Parts: sequence; C-alpha cells; structure tokens
Amino acid sequence: MRELLQFARDVLLFKHEAYIEHATRDDVLKRGLTLLVLVTLVAGSLSLIVNLVNDLRLSSVEARRQEMEQALREFTRTLQTMQRYFDVPPGFERDVLRYVQPSMKIAFRIAELPTPLPKPVGAVLSNLGLFLSSPFNRISGWIGYVIWVLLIAKLLGGRATISQTLGATALYSLPHVLDILSPVNCLGGLLGLVATVWGIAIYVKALAVANEFSIVRSVVATVVPALIAAILVGLGLLTILVLSLVNL
Amino acid sequence: MQVQALIKLGWEALFLHPAPFINLREDPNPALRGLTLVVLIAVLVALGGLVGTALEWATTPSMSDVQQVVLEQIQAMDWYKELENEPEFRQQFPQWYELGWRVFPPLFGAPDVVNAATRIILLPLGLTLVWFLYGLVSHLCARLLGGQAGLGQTLGCTALALAPQLLNLATFFPYLVVGSAVGTWTLLGRYVALKTCHRMTWGRALAATLLPYLAFILTVSFFGCLGIAILSLFFVGGPQ
Repeated sequence: MRELLQFARDVLLFKHEAYIEHATRDDVLKRGLTLLVLVTLVAGSLSLIVNLVNDLRLSSVEARRQEMEQALREFTRTLQTMQRYFDVPPGFERDVLRYVQPSMKIAFRIAELPTPLPKPVGAVLSNLGLFLSSPFNRISGWIGYVIWVLLIAKLLGGRATISQTLGATALYSLPHVLDILSPVNCLGGLLGLVATVWGIAIYVKALAVANEFSIVRSVVATVVPALIAAILVGLGLLTILVLSLVNL
Repeated sequence: MQVQALIKLGWEALFLHPAPFINLREDPNPALRGLTLVVLIAVLVALGGLVGTALEWATTPSMSDVQQVVLEQIQAMDWYKELENEPEFRQQFPQWYELGWRVFPPLFGAPDVVNAATRIILLPLGLTLVWFLYGLVSHLCARLLGGQAGLGQTLGCTALALAPQLLNLATFFPYLVVGSAVGTWTLLGRYVALKTCHRMTWGRALAATLLPYLAFILTVSFFGCLGIAILSLFFVGGPQ
C-alpha cells in the first residue's frame, strides 16, 4: 500500500521514471486498475455518506412529504420571481403543479408500501450498490475511449501492448481523488475541473511513455477520437437541421 | 483442483496478458478446457446475480401492489374521469395497462427472482452458444488471414477472452450495475486471444476479431429485412 501511494504521488508529480517503471511491469494493468478502483471509491465516499445520512434521516414517508412540499413552495417562489423578468405563459404554474402533485402522490404511496426487509436496509443497500457501481461506470467510460486511442496510437507507430496501454492510461484517474469534494458547492465543481485537466495531462504522458513515442503523437492519439466523435455528432445535428428545414 | 486452476487462468486472462492464452494454446485439450471455463463462469455469474436479485426483491415493494397504487391514482385523475365515459376506452384501458405492466417493469430492472433463477440454466447455454459461434467464425477469418492455430486452440483462447464476464460476479451485490465495460473488455480479450493463438500481426488480428461482429450485424440485418418483407406480404397483401 505504501509503495502504491508513493507511486501515485510520483505520477501526480509527472516523474518520468515512475511512468517508465509502471509501463514495463508485467502487472501494469492490474496495478493501473487497482489505482483506478481505489481512487473512484475514495472519491465517492463522501457522497455515499451524505446520501446515506439523507436517506436514513428521511426514512419516514412523512419527512419526505414535508421536504417535497418545501421544494414545491420554493419552486413556486422562484417562478413568481421569474415572472417579473420573463414572459411566463399564464397558468404555467397551475399546469406544472397539476402534473407534479399526482406524480408525487403516486411516489409517496409506493414509498409507504411494505417490503420484506425493513426500509432502512433497502436504503443502505441501494446507496452502497450505487457507490460500488461507480468504479464500473468509470471503467466503462475509460475502456470505451481507450480502444480508439489504442487504434490511433498503433497507426502512429506505437509499440505498447493492450495491457500496457490500458494500465498506463488508467493512471489518469489519480487526480480524480479530488472529486471527493464534489458535494461541496462551487469548490467541488472547480476541483473537478482541475482533476479533469490534470488527468488528461497524465493520460498523454502515460500514453507517450508506454508507446515510446513523442508527446506530440500522444496528444494526437488522445485527441483524435474525441475530435472524430465531435465531428460525427456535428454532422448528425447538421443533417437533422437540414432535414427539418427541408420539411418546413 | 482443476476448477481452481481454470478460474486462476481466467483471472489472469482478465488482465489481457498473453501468458494465459499461450498456456491454453499449448494445452492438449484446449477446447474442452475452454468449454469448462465458459460454463463455470456463466454458472458463477448466474448464482451471484440470483443472490443480488433476491436481496433487491426483499427491499422492494411487491410489483402487484405498485401496479394497484398507480392504477388507483390514474383513476383519480381528471383526464381519466373524462375518458371513462367512452365505452371503447373503458374496455381497452385495462388490457393495455395489464400488458404495460408485464412488459415494462422487467425492462426497467424490476427484480424478478424466478427469472434470475432460470438464468442458472440459460446463461451457461447462451454463453456457450456465443462462445462457440464466435470461435468458429473468428477461426475461419483468422485462417483466411494467415493464422496458424487449430480450431481447438482458437476455441480455447476465445473462451479465455470471456474472462471479463467475471466482472458480472459483482452483481451479487444488490443495485450494483456493471455497465458496458464487460462488452468492450471482451472485445479486447478476443483480440489478444486471436493475436496470441494465431501468431498474427496486430492489423490482421484486429480484422479477424472484428469480422465476426460484422458478419453477425449483416446476418441480423438480412434476416430482419427478410422478416419485415414476409410480414408486409401477410399484412399488406404484397404487390397487387
């Protein structure tokens, strides 16, 4: 564990030897994945505690009902403020409430229904399930992108094997330990942005070291899949726009 | 003991290192070991899924109670009261409502213990079929592209490529979602399997890995179009 923490520190500080030592290990993917899973779990731990306390505090349906009614009152107040500055259609508030209130009624009546195990057990299990799903979500996103990066890197003359590329790029997750503060207003978002930029820099460096090519090629291999995706999305949107104009 | 060794081999293959694939390629009976591994993984995953589903079921209200609550609330809504006077609506609404509750809850992940239990039989069968078909088609593609391995070796190595299915074991924990990682990871595993097993260059191995997917998409599209054409003949009556 101590060795892993020392390694994580060196990666965060962009120490070149740490990247080389990692990329040449036999268990490069195992170590990269271990770090990715640990970081994701640590980053999600505060959210887990906050959500768990919230759910257990509001375990009675009455408490939830009161909170929802409070939220609706706040919504009405916000709408009244907005009416001063924007042209809100007449009866908008009444229409929204007409749809929201029956849905709330359904939700509360379902929440009152009995379950074989006590309700707090369900709250704990569902929160833990969500928390333990977070590493899998991160892995899904990371592996889905890296498959394209791998292809571009190979076309650019990269020498890394699949496990080396995956193990090296998994290090991008390290700065995301800052996401632990994501429930904090404003600061959480700012730190999330810092972690993303820092993570991309680590990704580029790790990819360059694993493939034994220049930083420029690494940047190209990292950015091209995103660019292609953006162009495809843009073309898709343009097609929809043209088709809708033609139909008009 | 052999089962333990197989699981260990599968676990090592999960990390996409060529060593476990080479190990199975050199085995005297790679296809049989591959089949055993596929069935073992599928049974373990299905058992884990059953535990998770049972716990989800135990912390969720009964679906029939939920259905009744929603129906009562819908019947209290203004739009329902307005339409209730129309005999056609009164007759058709319960049928559609009942059908909706049969179709949608499983799609949205409502826990179904019976379904999870049947997966103990169905998942090994399904995974074995997928493994065998992919192994067969990818073997043909690899041989056409200059691959050197026998069919048994290809089947053994592509069975190891299914090791990422082990991630689904985590679903023994209720409400846990593994997501799309397994599919992508399996694709990478298949690439390593074919490249190692057939001693191919990366480009040829990539083509041999993707061609079976392409063949599958084309086959499904062909039969889909054929099905639509046949159905349209029945319902529209075809060209006059």
